[in-house]
Amino acid sequence: MGGMASGDPLVLGIETSCDETGVALVRGNELLVDATASSMDEHARYGGIIPEVASRAHLEAMIPTIGKALGQADVDLSEVDAIAVTAGPGLVGPLTIGTSAAKALAVGLNKPLYGVNHVIGHAAVDQLVDGEFPERVMALVVSGGHSSLLLVDDVATKVTELGSTLDDAAGEAFDKVGRLLGLPYPGGPHIDRLAREGDPEAIRFPRGLTAAKDQEKHAYDFSFSGLKTAVARWVESCRDSGREVPVGDVAASFAAAVVDVLTAKTIAACRRHEVETLVVGGGFSANSQLRELAAKRCAEAGIDLRIPPIRYCTDNGAMIAALGSAVVRAGVAPSSLDFGVDSQMPLTTVSL
Amino acid sequence: MVVSSTEARADLPDAATTKALGAALAGVLRAGDLVILTGDLGAGKTTLTQGLGAALGVRGQVASPTFIVAREHEPLPREDGTRGPGLVHVDAYRLGSLGELDALDLDSSLEESVTVVEWGRGLAEALTEDRLEIDLERPHGGEVDMDDPSAGVRHVTLRGVGERWATVDLAGLVAGLVPSAEN
Repeated sequence: MGGMASGDPLVLGIETSCDETGVALVRGNELLVDATASSMDEHARYGGIIPEVASRAHLEAMIPTIGKALGQADVDLSEVDAIAVTAGPGLVGPLTIGTSAAKALAVGLNKPLYGVNHVIGHAAVDQLVDGEFPERVMALVVSGGHSSLLLVDDVATKVTELGSTLDDAAGEAFDKVGRLLGLPYPGGPHIDRLAREGDPEAIRFPRGLTAAKDQEKHAYDFSFSGLKTAVARWVESCRDSGREVPVGDVAASFAAAVVDVLTAKTIAACRRHEVETLVVGGGFSANSQLRELAAKRCAEAGIDLRIPPIRYCTDNGAMIAALGSAVVRAGVAPSSLDFGVDSQMPLTTVSL
Repeated sequence: MVVSSTEARADLPDAATTKALGAALAGVLRAGDLVILTGDLGAGKTTLTQGLGAALGVRGQVASPTFIVAREHEPLPREDGTRGPGLVHVDAYRLGSLGELDALDLDSSLEESVTVVEWGRGLAEALTEDRLEIDLERPHGGEVDMDDPSAGVRHVTLRGVGERWATVDLAGLVAGLVPSAEN
């Protein structure tokens, strides 16, 4: 299946911003293959990402993963029309491995290279599942490293950052609460599982940046640090008084606070900007309470909700190939071969 | 050899004063300096670093570095066109050793930056003899104000270790803190 169906360019996407080495081929909005190698197991031993470990794993996995993707799609490198690669944000070492590989391919094949934004890729990947975006969409990107609300007028050329977390990302807050409750890393999936056995209304944990005084400056920003502190002190006082910590209720009530704020602010932004389509992406969109509450609130507000299946939400090559495909089709100029990685790449920059 | 140390203590009544301490530190910290921040989850380590980053004038949102272990913030040009030190913000919670910060694959050189290491006690001392240790202590357990969960006085202890800090007036630095208006 060489993907001869349409006249759209064949884009090879490479993602290495964190601990997944992802390589994918996309033509138009059709995903031909998505191959991923992960160093997650190595990091789990340390209880988190260690940049040097990730860099070495990317280096070892890069060529085999490219070979696997091409083999599975039965595509020859010479058929590739353009290369897209994550330029940022992310870890400097891992990003450097990915961009170096992409530059080598672009030079060797004499094909254009596009250094693209990882966070916007988390939104763009939905086009592979639910089709081309309508004229304007709102994108909520939530993961271990990011929690951002983006107004997407054109995913290839015009993205506005409405808000982001001021402290902890949503997934990171989950990992820290997991730490407080003595759960293994990463804590997110464990809390999600425990939360199903608990009462989300048992403890009324705080909703960060939702007070009236925050509406002017931080209407669409998030803060999960105060919530984390509240959970820590609540658990401490429980232990201090000799009571057993009701882990299920803490997990459920904490998760309820996070997803309440995420969805309430996002729906408010959709209303304010008169946007009728919401895309949710990033690894934290695997959270079951987020999926349920987003579906409920979008239905009430008449907003079309697009959340791709979980395998598209984690870091992968498909998201970068999808964004690369959109950028190429929009006629955006390729990146200069001497671009550097940008660990703090602004979310308004789609491609370099 | 005896390594000298100076010490100062203060109470930080709210997050704005914690940020103000960070801002005041920007006035004495120089490129190459190491700060080791210690305190429980929610003690105010990232808040203090936000105040520092804002006063240094660095690029990007200073937020928790936990997920990616280290965040690098380049200095932004000042009004007169010069640049101060950048900020390297590290969370060492999951690192077994900091003997080599090389393991973090940092882009910027530590000589050109102020390096703040959260959860660095017992690890980062190996990096340099001169360092500023800051311990933040938040209220433990008790009744939590769910409308303002970060409220509560933080006790801060600053300890300057080594020649670098022998002549820095840490007590004077914490004496006149006024809550930072910036949010």
